Amino acid sequence: MDARQKEKYLREYSAMKAAGKPFFPYAVGKDGLMACIVMIVIILMSLFLGAELGPKADPTTTSYVPRPEWYFFFLFEVLRVIKPPDLVFVATLGIPNIALGLLVLLPFYDRGPERRPERRPVAMIAMLLTIVAMTYLTLLGAFAGSPITIDEEVPAKYQYGKEVAANSGCLGCHKFGENGNDGPGPNLSEIGARLPKQAIERTLDNPTPPMPSFKSMPPEQKKALVEFLGQLR
Amino acid sequence: MPSETDKKKSKYTADRGWPGAFEGETLTRRGFMTGVAMGAGGVASAMFGLPALGFALGPIFSKTEHRALLDVGSTDDFDGETYVPVVITTTAGIGQAGKTLLYIRENSKPTKKQPWPYVAISTRCAHLGCPVRYIEAARSFICPCHGGTYDFEGGVTGGPPVRPLDRFTTVVKNGRVYVGERFSVNSQLERVSTRDAGEHVDGLWQILYPPRPTT
Amino acid sequence: MPSKPKLPNPLNIKTSKLPKPPLPPALKRTPKPVETGDDVTLGQAAAGGGTSVVAWIDERTAGSGFLRGFMFRKVPKGTNWWYTLGSATMFAFVSQAVTGIFLAMFYDPNPTQAYESMRHVNNEVFLGEFVHGMHKWGATVMTVLLFVHMARTFVFGAYKYPRELNWVVGVILLMMTMVMGFTGYLLPFDQRSFWATVVGVNLNGTGPIVGPYLADFLRGGSEFGATTLSRFYAVHMMLVPGIIGALIGAHLYLVAKLGTSAPPWMKPKDVAGDEKQI
Repeated sequence: MDARQKEKYLREYSAMKAAGKPFFPYAVGKDGLMACIVMIVIILMSLFLGAELGPKADPTTTSYVPRPEWYFFFLFEVLRVIKPPDLVFVATLGIPNIALGLLVLLPFYDRGPERRPERRPVAMIAMLLTIVAMTYLTLLGAFAGSPITIDEEVPAKYQYGKEVAANSGCLGCHKFGENGNDGPGPNLSEIGARLPKQAIERTLDNPTPPMPSFKSMPPEQKKALVEFLGQLR
Repeated sequence: MPSETDKKKSKYTADRGWPGAFEGETLTRRGFMTGVAMGAGGVASAMFGLPALGFALGPIFSKTEHRALLDVGSTDDFDGETYVPVVITTTAGIGQAGKTLLYIRENSKPTKKQPWPYVAISTRCAHLGCPVRYIEAARSFICPCHGGTYDFEGGVTGGPPVRPLDRFTTVVKNGRVYVGERFSVNSQLERVSTRDAGEHVDGLWQILYPPRPTT
Repeated sequence: MPSKPKLPNPLNIKTSKLPKPPLPPALKRTPKPVETGDDVTLGQAAAGGGTSVVAWIDERTAGSGFLRGFMFRKVPKGTNWWYTLGSATMFAFVSQAVTGIFLAMFYDPNPTQAYESMRHVNNEVFLGEFVHGMHKWGATVMTVLLFVHMARTFVFGAYKYPRELNWVVGVILLMMTMVMGFTGYLLPFDQRSFWATVVGVNLNGTGPIVGPYLADFLRGGSEFGATTLSRFYAVHMMLVPGIIGALIGAHLYLVAKLGTSAPPWMKPKDVAGDEKQI
């Protein structure tokens, strides 16, 4: 905005302000009603959702699956999707700080006089993309399953095999539906459609590194595991 | 006769033509009092600010006390084939929060790089410190948070962790196994100084994460 | 040199030029000062007494000018429900402050006691879980309101001249609210608190060069120790709320000084000047 545009804005604004209504009671009345709504929402959330504590903090756990509060899910998901160790710093501090910097400095690089949203397509598209990206990451974070259980329902006869799979660390490197990590191993959600059971068993015995060999697994467990994997399709 | 610019540059107030100037004076009363106001305010603030800041920052530079060796069991309790979970207390006096879990196995082939008789692996993920668990069937360590996986030696096999799992020193005395200090290892499993999760100890990145005076 | 045109200056609130406050008639009457006599009723005496107290305070603070300027300043036409989000966020903050004070009366920031003290609040204190829940869910509500308020400001272009500085103050408030969320996380000391804090502290530790020192500062040492919890507690209940309070003051001052922005599609009907198209 140059000096002329600034002057024009101030002139127009002062005219609009002069034609307006007093802050009290018109705006304050709306603010007060809104405050009532806010308090009703907080009280209802408190009554229905409560403030139950989880189990007491225990640094010696091996079974707890840490997950943040929902409003940090998008940051949590950024940490999950950025896999290379060399980019850890980018995911933890780089991206959030760059985003924050862009936010703080917004009025210093977006200096155009136009204020109507429909005439600021770049700003509106940028905002829409940010909202879509954050929503998408939040949803991914919310559905990121635990790597020690498989939520997918299976017929009763494959139940044992499912437990073997969940307890054998497969989820550390493979995805089963919503559970498990996306890589380094391939997604196993439909492995039965791609590989016959004999091939699955051969892979378990002689896998490609870094996958460990499951040769020493007790035969009945391995059989159940192969049966379970073979029916995934 | 000094020129205009000389007048402006002169350090004498009289030369600069200031009202109320005295011969030979370089500082006006007003200038002096401005300095006093700024200086006194600054000094007074620093007098409470610096000690408070030092107090808050102090723990960073304090020497960590060397913990006594901890008895974790008899040599018969561990073998070279699998890991046994053991809980030790690293910080006394804060109950459960001061404990941590280790996985211990016998070091069947001690090498120059790994002279310890037992391998004691920390369960803090080297990515951001989540609690990893050992999976016997896969002979791997798996982190439940952001997808880190480690092999039997604690080396990274997948996901974002920046270095292998930390270890603890071990000694054997009178048939008992004792655990000492935690230390970090690089990708060759060579001992380096103790680091927090997320700090690189390999390649060019390690320049950005220098070892600290405390540990 | 062309002479500069005399500009209207809407940035100066002149209390003397403000319109009469639109009060109900009952409040517009100024009660007469207290008189002595038999015919003075109790109501008149009380009203007169109240007026004298207000007048006494006003004589010594000149507060009525400021209050009139703040409360009866004009707000442009077209300000709608979207404009209530800022005050709603502030109200959520006040609610957080009050519930937080009452939780602090029962909370014990000691690693061995913190969890038990919160369980005591939940199970035994009258309305304990309710107030705890209000504080917990109030944080969520405040965060959501803050983001929607920011989105409104963005869509309406209200961060542009002359309100740039207020946007910056607002973003710092957003950061401080996030810090409140992070430091408040650890306090109940359940599993989620503990591991979220471990990850959060290590996350700060991944910053090159300064990161490890920052992590040590947050923990108060190289390992999670006896003072970590009280460190988070002090930051959560004194340092950051103080900063937020001061920044809300600055934010409000700038809103009053610069005026509430008009919706971008509103145009003045009769502005003197040469550029009336658009």
